[in-house]
Parts: sequence; structure tokens; C-alpha cells
Amino acid sequence: MKEKGKRVIPGLGLSLGVTITMLSVIVIIPLASLAVFTARLTPGKFIDVITNRRVLAAFEVSFITAFIASLINAVMGVILAWVLVRYEFPGRRIIDGMIELPFALPTAVAGISLTALTSDKGWIGRIFDHIGVKIAYTRIGITFALVFVGIPFVVRAVQPVLEKLDGSYEEAAGVMGASRAVIFRKVIFPEIRPAVFTGFGLALGRCIGEYGSVVFIAGNQPYKTEITPLIIMAKLQEYDYASASAIALVMLVFSFTLLFAVNLIQVRNTKILKGGR
Amino acid sequence: MAYVELKNINKSYGDFKASDDVSFGIEKGKLIGLLGPSGSGKTTILRMIAGLETPDSGDIIIDGKVVNGIPASKRGIGFVFQNYALFRYMTVFDNVAFGLKYGPYAQKDKKYIQTRVNELLELVGLAGLGSRYPSQLSGGQRQRVAFARALAPNPYLLLLDEPFAAIDAKVRQELRSWLKQIIEKLGITSIFVTHDQDEAIEVADEIIITNNGRIEQMGTPIEIYRDPQTAFTAAFFGQTGYLEDYRQFKCFEPVGSIDKAIVRPEFVKLTKKNEYQKFKSSAEEATVERVSFRGNYIEVGVESHGSHFVARRELEQELVSVGEKVDVFIYRIFVTKDNKAYLLKNSSLREESVVI
Amino acid sequence: MAEAVLSPVKQRPEKKRRTSSSDSARTARPDLIHEDGAGSKAVRLFLIGLSFLFIFVMMILPLATVIKEALKQGWAAYQAAVTDEYTKSAIMLTLLATFSALAINTVFGLFAAWAITKFHFKGKKLLTTLIDIPVTVSPIIAGLIFVLVFGRQSFLYPYLKDAGIQIVYAVPGVILATVFVTFPFISRELIPVLEAQGTDEEEAAALMGASGWSIFTKVTFPHIKWAFLYGVVLCTARAMGEFGAVSVLSGHLRGKTNTLPLYVEVLFQGFEWVPAFAVSSILVIMAVVILVARNIFEHNAKTGSGGV
Repeated sequence: MKEKGKRVIPGLGLSLGVTITMLSVIVIIPLASLAVFTARLTPGKFIDVITNRRVLAAFEVSFITAFIASLINAVMGVILAWVLVRYEFPGRRIIDGMIELPFALPTAVAGISLTALTSDKGWIGRIFDHIGVKIAYTRIGITFALVFVGIPFVVRAVQPVLEKLDGSYEEAAGVMGASRAVIFRKVIFPEIRPAVFTGFGLALGRCIGEYGSVVFIAGNQPYKTEITPLIIMAKLQEYDYASASAIALVMLVFSFTLLFAVNLIQVRNTKILKGGR
Repeated sequence: MAYVELKNINKSYGDFKASDDVSFGIEKGKLIGLLGPSGSGKTTILRMIAGLETPDSGDIIIDGKVVNGIPASKRGIGFVFQNYALFRYMTVFDNVAFGLKYGPYAQKDKKYIQTRVNELLELVGLAGLGSRYPSQLSGGQRQRVAFARALAPNPYLLLLDEPFAAIDAKVRQELRSWLKQIIEKLGITSIFVTHDQDEAIEVADEIIITNNGRIEQMGTPIEIYRDPQTAFTAAFFGQTGYLEDYRQFKCFEPVGSIDKAIVRPEFVKLTKKNEYQKFKSSAEEATVERVSFRGNYIEVGVESHGSHFVARRELEQELVSVGEKVDVFIYRIFVTKDNKAYLLKNSSLREESVVI
Repeated sequence: MAEAVLSPVKQRPEKKRRTSSSDSARTARPDLIHEDGAGSKAVRLFLIGLSFLFIFVMMILPLATVIKEALKQGWAAYQAAVTDEYTKSAIMLTLLATFSALAINTVFGLFAAWAITKFHFKGKKLLTTLIDIPVTVSPIIAGLIFVLVFGRQSFLYPYLKDAGIQIVYAVPGVILATVFVTFPFISRELIPVLEAQGTDEEEAAALMGASGWSIFTKVTFPHIKWAFLYGVVLCTARAMGEFGAVSVLSGHLRGKTNTLPLYVEVLFQGFEWVPAFAVSSILVIMAVVILVARNIFEHNAKTGSGGV
């Protein structure tokens, strides 16, 4: 229903006009060009490009490292959010503030300092070098950088939900005699589960496309530590725009699917909470 | 002997004294209403009995045992929360089964859980709704689920925090009598908290009145109504008006230096000038200030000797109008001094009883 | 920040679930519900310890590494790197790109938020989804699409060349990329606040005959002031630190198209470690300032629009 009352406020034409124009020029038209350039490839050529061994290897590296990093983030994110909301201890505010660092620190800076930190001369790399584990220039290093990049997504998704969680749920379970472990598993976790999935999804999306913090630590060896964004970069430098577009399109489809999945979880969740029958 | 007993309980939150030397005892099988205005400390008492708060001093004794040191999870008490606190991500069945599955006497026997939960859902009139989620139920149904969930592990004491506060007025009425019936049937000792006097009168076997963290009075609804012992109770219970100086009214013997008195509508007989008034000579003239229709009676606000109070008229009686001069006869009043309440009867009634 | 991507299904500011009561919003006291035994204390200590370890390794050590590496060859070397001419020009370009992004995204954010929250129209959901796209796109793809539109192989290229405009591998490209990646940063902070506030006040003002401009400045803006500043901080953080998208479009010309992060890359790849970390330290300082500002604005944006 369109309410007449809404039209009392002036400026619909102007504001909508400016919004759509700017959105088209800056976002929609450039993105559409991706499809245009990909369309220059025949379907067969398109398949060839994206199933090239080196490209597939890059997809694999990107996906596996991003997935593992996001899993670590999901676990660590819940722990950090829990500790920040539920426990009172000296240094809590500092941890709370530091969580945001990956949003504020330029990715290139994060990239080179994580590389220096985990190379065999760095503080962490040196320790692991003793037990024969190399971090920098391996997939472990990529994962390490992606954990850094993704952690705020999970913490900031879960934290507000935990804060708002009504204490009476736990009291109700407690009065009935449930143990702490049961209360967490059966009462608290279901409440934060949608937020954990959301945080995981957002972190995964970000990690798959991440470039700045990864290029330095990755070592960029084809088939081993070369990530998808780097392949696109390489194709661009060879002026192979069609291939670059094709690979980019695959990534784009993946991240949209991921977002869609995250939205789906949210929708299902609202259904349980708001009650449609 | 009291089944649940509180002895000299004190509890403060910072400067706020939520419980101030609270002591009372409750017999087994009774349904008790904790009644008081908000902030009077009634919920705190309930939560301390459940173990969700700890008293600063004093003992809580249940069935002869001091339970202060026993954590909430081991007390075996049923608790219905004000917002029900139903687990939103569990079905109705799983909610009710929760205490059976994870409680101190966790049941391994799935068959038993199944039977017990269905039995309870039947009892609260929700048979067949076990697979729904709480959000798919109405407010009244949620309350019933909360009730069933609290009862499932067979608690020996049931506590209910404002059990009807979140329900529509109409359904509330229905649920009150339902709850009273069921608790009587099960014979479980129960305490509920409310700020609504009608609710307390209707549901409770006995009422405990709280104010400012203290217990004002405890007794059956009729005792408290008839014989309020403190100024607070006299004023809180029922709809009250005040006489600024009752000595200006005929036939009340003055007590000490007090002049203020409490008068309830049912203490007042209001007659039109042309109507028969048995105690005409002891009646006072009053002016009608306000006439409101209350559904099943008419409420009349009057002024007499500078005091404003309320009387009631039946719907069948002739209407009075604003500004009309009428006669009011006051049967009795409460005078209060130092938080003690005294009942004063109209002396013309006494004379009559002497005559008879 | 994280959940904003999902604006189409974002939950409204929560309605009060509890009925009015003096003692609502209690938090449970687990220590009362259960005995505070050795087990639960151990769990607690373990989780707190793990959190500290994580923050130490993932956040503190990288920052410390930057400082350590930057000062490795002493203060003089550090100073030389920071005051280097190329560094200065990189700072200038970073500032230029950041301010451009702020200006363009502020204009967009205000208009978009106004259109989306004050009116009903078809396709609103689609519009909000489209606005959020730039944050979900890999920065490399963000750079790529502008190369496609304005680069050598684009149909626009001949016209641009005739007009003497170079976008790709030049400053305009750097600015475009920065604008793109930060595009929704201001609107997504404004929209929830305006949505929660509703349209009543604007309608009242409009009915009393106020103009669109005075409605905005007198009625609407006071509500969104802190959310706006918060958005500005987030936008600044991302704009000055953007690397991937800018990297594709810049061409890495020292002193010309290098922003600070790109200059860091150039130095690092050229094995000039000390200068690389020295330049990084400038960005670290800016990041810390942003973190502090963020905390202040976020607090104010959350606790309400009226204050201060």
C-alpha cells in the first residue's frame, strides 16, 4: 500500500535521481562491463579459461585457505565475543578495541608485517622454524593472514547478540538443573548460531577476495600458493582482459551465492523467532 | 510447621534496600500471593527463594533445611518467568522436556519423557501443539507452556513471577481461575508475585503484602481486607479515599491526635435526598463531584467537609447528577498512626446493636 | 560493520520484548545458578588466556614488528625514509583520494539514505542490495572493472584519448577505485538510524510548510550527526588503506600514482625493508587514530543522537 502521507516530505525525485545516477556510474555500469567482456569469449573458451590447471589450483588455494581461516575465526570469534561480554577482567577494553585493528590497518601494512613476523627471521617464524614448520610463503601463511583479516567479522556479529541475550533463558535452564555445558550447548549456542553463520559467511567472502594482506606472505608460487586475485592480476598484466573477466566473474558469482546463503539463514531464523506458520 | 520459611532476610543493591528484615513462613500445599507495588521487593524475595539471588543475611529454609548454600540448579524448584523465557529455538515439546532431559534427575528413558511431556501438554490444554515453536503460540498458550515446563521435573515448590503480566486483559481473567484450579488439583506449594490486588485476591489462598522491602502483612485475602494492620495495607488494598478530618463527621470517636482517615467505597452508603436512609440522623450531606459508569456499577465521587471520597451506586438505582446534594452514611473508617491501622465503626451502628 | 552487508533482511531495532516491570533486563548470574567450582574457573581462565594470546599474536606482534623493522637501522634512517620526497607525494595522493572518496560518498550517502528511509517505492530492496555490492567484491575485481571501462580496449578509450584524459594508470583511476570500494560506507551507517527514527518529524515539519533543505538541516541532521561521523571514520580508514583496487589502476609510478600502501609495496618488493616499514608506521599511526575516533563515534552513535 502506498500511503499518501509519505509524499508530504519533499525530495523524492531529487534524492532518488542522484542515488540512481551515482550508483549506475560508479557501480552498475563498471560491473556490467565484466559480463560484456566475458561474453566476448565463446562458451568453450570460457570453460577452458576457468578450468586451466593453474586457475583451478588458484581457486583451490583461495577456497581452502579462506575456508580454514574462517573456521578458525568462527571458533575464535565466539570465544572472544564470549570473553568480552561475559567476563570482567583487566585489559578487557583493550582487547575489545584491538579487535577492530584489521578494519583500520591498511592491508598492505598488515601483509608486510605478518610476512616479517612469520618469516624464518621473525618472532613467530623463528619458533616454528625450530620444529620445521614454515609459515611465510606457504598456505599456512596465507591462512594466518586471512585469520587476521576475518576475525572482526565474527566477533562483531556475535558480540551484540550475546550482549542482548536475555538472562532469564539461562536462569530458566539453570533452575531446571541444567549444567553450564548443557546451558551453553542447548540454550546459548542456538541463540548465537545465526550470528556465527553470518560472521563466518562474511569472513569467508572477504577472505576469498582478499589481496593486500596475502600477496606478500603467499610467495605466489603457481599451483602452490598462488591465490585467485593474483591470477587476475597476472592476466591483466598480460592484457588478457577476457580471461581476467572470466575468472573475476566466477569469483563474483561465488561471493553472491555466499551472500545469498547468509541471507537465507537470516530469513529462516526470523521465521522461527517471529513465527509465520 | 512452615514448609518454606524466610528468617530475617536482608538484601541491598547499593543504597537500595530490596529486602529489609523479611521473615515469613508458608505451609505446605498453599498458594501464596506476594503482592506489592513495583519496587517493593517482591520479585527479589522470589528470586532469593529460587537461588537466583543471594540474601546479604538471614536464612531461607525449605522443608526444614537451610538452602542458602545450595545453588539454584540443585534446589529442585519450578520457576515461571515473567516473560516465560521459553527457549525460542526449541519446539514446545523440547521446552517441556528440558528439565527431564538435563535436570539433576535426568531421565534416560525416552519413553518416559515422551509420556510425561504429553501428559503435561494435555494437562495445560496444549495437546498436539508439541511440534510448534514458541513464536507460533499466543501469549496465553506460551504461559501454559512455561507452566508445563516448570512442572515437568516434579518440583516441590513452584514460583511464578508476575505470571499474568504479559497477557491481554481478557485472557488473563480466564487464565487466573485456570491456574488456581490446576495448582489446587496438583497440591503443589506455590508462590506467585503480582502487583494487581484483584489478581491476588482471586488466586491466592494467602497474601503477603510487601512495601519498601518490608512485609506489611500476611493473611487470607478476607483477613487483609477486613483487618488491615498497617497504614500501607489499609490504603493499598481496595479503592481508597481520605477524610481530611474525620472528627467533623458524626458518630466517630476521636482517637488520640489523629484526624486523617481512610474510607473505601463499600464503607459508604449514598442516598438521594428523596430516598430512604436508615441512619439519616448520622448521615452527612455531600456534593456529587463526578459520576462515572464502571460497567456493572456507578462510581460517584463526592465532597463533604472538604474531603473527597468515592461511593458506589447500583445500576438499578436512580441516577445522581453532578452538583446534586446527597446524603452519605459512613459505616466505618480506618485511622492510621505510625503505620498502624485502627478500625473505627460508626457509633450509631453500635447503639443499634445494643438496642437489638 | 560486518552485518551491514545484509541490509535487505537486517533486523529492525529490537522492540521491547519484556512487559514493563521494575526489574527487566537482568543478566543471569551463572555463579549463583551453579557452584563456582574449580572446573568453571579453569574454563574461564583458559578462555581469557586464549583471547589474550590470540590478540597478542595476531594484533600486537604485527604492530610491534612494524616498529621494530622501521627502526632497525636507527632513527636517522627512519627519518630519512619518512621525509623522503616520494613518501611525501604518496601522502598527498592518499589524502587526495581519501577526501575525494569522502566527498562523493557523503553526497551519495545523504541522498541515498534520504530516498530509502523517507519514501516508499518499488525496487527499494534491490536498490539497497546494489548499494552494498562494492564491499562484497574483491578489491582486484573492483580495479579490473575500471580498467575494462576506461582502459585501452574500451570503446570509450578513443574519445578519452582525444580529450586528453587518462584514467587508467593515472590519478583519476586511483580516485575512482577508492570511491568504489568505500561507496556504501556512509549510507549504510545513516540508513539504520534514519529508519529507526521514522518519518513523523519530517512529516510534521513539511506540514508546517518547511522547505526540504530546512527539514533536512533542522530536523533530520541532528539525529544522524554521530552516525554520519562514524561513517566518515570508517570510510577514511578504508580509503587510505585501500590496496588491491588501487594497485590494479595505478601503474605504480613513483611520485605520481603511488598512494602510501602502494609505495609500501614498491619498497618492500624492492627489498628496501627499512623504508617500507618506516612508511608503514605512518599508516599504523593513522590506523590507531582511527581506532580511537571510531570508538568515540560508535559510542555516541549508539547511545543516541541528541547528546552533545
